[in-house]
Amino acid sequence: MRVRLEDVWVRLGGIDVLKSVSLEVGDGVSVALVGRNGAGKTTTLRTIMGILKPYRGRVEVAVDGRTYEASRMKPYHVAALGIGYVPQGRMIFPDLTVEENLEVARGGPVPEDLLEWIYSIMPELKKIRGRLGIHLSGGEQQMLAVARALVRNPRILLLDEPLEGLAPKIVASLTQALAEIRDSGVSLLITESGNLKRVRKLVDKAYGIDRGEIIYEGDPHKMLEDPVARRRIWGL
Amino acid sequence: MVSLDYVAVQTINALFYSSILFLVASGLSLIYGIMRILNLAHGAFYMVGAYLAYTVIILWASGSTLYFLVAPLVALAALAALGVGVERGLIRPLYGKPEELQLLATYALILVFDDLVKMLWGAEYKSFTVLAGGSLRIGRFTVPHYFVAVILVGFAVAGLLWLVFSKTMLGKQMRATAHNPEIAAALGVNTDRVFVAAFALGAALAGLAGAVAAPILTAYPGMGTEIIVLSFAVIVIGGMGSITGSLVGSLIVGFARTLMAATYPIMEIALIYIIMAAVLLVKPVGLFGREERERR
Ligand SMILES: Nc1ncnc2c1ncn2[C@@H]1O[C@H](COP(=O)(O)OP(=O)(O)OP(=O)(O)O)[C@@H](O)[C@H]1O
Ligand SMILES: [Mg+2]
Repeated sequence: MRVRLEDVWVRLGGIDVLKSVSLEVGDGVSVALVGRNGAGKTTTLRTIMGILKPYRGRVEVAVDGRTYEASRMKPYHVAALGIGYVPQGRMIFPDLTVEENLEVARGGPVPEDLLEWIYSIMPELKKIRGRLGIHLSGGEQQMLAVARALVRNPRILLLDEPLEGLAPKIVASLTQALAEIRDSGVSLLITESGNLKRVRKLVDKAYGIDRGEIIYEGDPHKMLEDPVARRRIWGL
Repeated sequence: MVSLDYVAVQTINALFYSSILFLVASGLSLIYGIMRILNLAHGAFYMVGAYLAYTVIILWASGSTLYFLVAPLVALAALAALGVGVERGLIRPLYGKPEELQLLATYALILVFDDLVKMLWGAEYKSFTVLAGGSLRIGRFTVPHYFVAVILVGFAVAGLLWLVFSKTMLGKQMRATAHNPEIAAALGVNTDRVFVAAFALGAALAGLAGAVAAPILTAYPGMGTEIIVLSFAVIVIGGMGSITGSLVGSLIVGFARTLMAATYPIMEIALIYIIMAAVLLVKPVGLFGREERERR
């Protein structure tokens, strides 16, 4: 399964927030999308999910030999194609329990083996499965957000700054969990606002985005040496 | 000295009125909580329910006891279907549009339904106090069993709504959608189906309310406006989008109104507004309300 953005333009409040963005993720290739605050990372993910519609360009999802145009579909149909979404800020449903959060995303009871697999990757969740979303810590919320995106067996997982605002210990265990998910065959698209190093080991490729434009595409380990990326993302 | 039997009868009156209010206000609140649409036409659904009850009871059943069961069920089903039609045809195109448009469109619906009712049933009051089922003796007073039945319906619906929201998949999806429709949809929840279900459920409850109220409160054009004003008071007091809030708010408004009607009728509506203003001052989101979710 592969998602491809081709010359995507998105306008919000009269401003072009994405300007001719082209990007690919899937078929075993995991990518990072790195850019500073306001660069357009969240907008890119919301566009892939079909929440925002490009006024030019297209978002294609290729799955099992068929191609769908996500930019013409409802978000719940895009999700059903096999794309999991972990939104920025977790967005856990606060008055649902951990397990209800998972059930709602699945649209029914989560199969036992799938649930066990999720709990084996993130054992912390199992202990708190009856707790309300509102009572979770930041790290627990983030794990639930990842788990919630896994209950439909996605082939691609979009993660919007999943490590943002977490304690180093939790960053480490979440990174480990994401590596396991990737190794199970799920392609990741991870956004990150500054610290490329902490997502680098999870991905095969990096994109740099600045003011709605893709300004770097290539090896994540060479990005820190790229003069354009250095200047436009890190101000060096 | 106020006698005990009098208090008992007034309590039943208050509970009867609270029950009707709850059926209307909970649907209004549910629709607002999930789709953030203030459905001004909700009172019109109540009115249509009342006229359907009149039709079933007087025109079809000619006053037979059967109406107890049949009329509310007919109203419930008919208004659920009407709710689906209205959501699909009128409300859906207005999601995310300016609030004025939504208010205008639902207000226009009131005018349409008021005229339709006048065309189909005439403008005069339809009084049909066919109280089959006998009555209850309380001291010097008699209270129709019907009052008690309506009170039980109110509490049964409250219990059923609680079950739906806490136990069923649709109920959980409704709670998720109420909190954040965009994220719910991006996770795979068919939010369009959730919206239509919520709207139909709300409309059905309003129709049920009209049908059970009509034999006591009569059916007349404009009855929708009267109930909707009080229902707004209920959800302002109880909190928008909270079913518990609707229940508590209905009880407060029902009892306040009955108390005033029995003691100082001039203040009947005024007291409700005073309570409403007091709640707004102390807790602007209502007793059981949540902070507003961020607008996109
Ligand atoms: N609804 C909106 N209306 C107008 N402008 C918007 C809207 N949403 C986002 N923007 C603007 O679009 C730009 C990109 O926003 P976006 O949220 O995609 O950035 P981001 O890269 O995710 O940033 P962050 O690291 O802060 O999450 C920003 O300048 C933002 O102010
Ligand atoms: Mg963002």
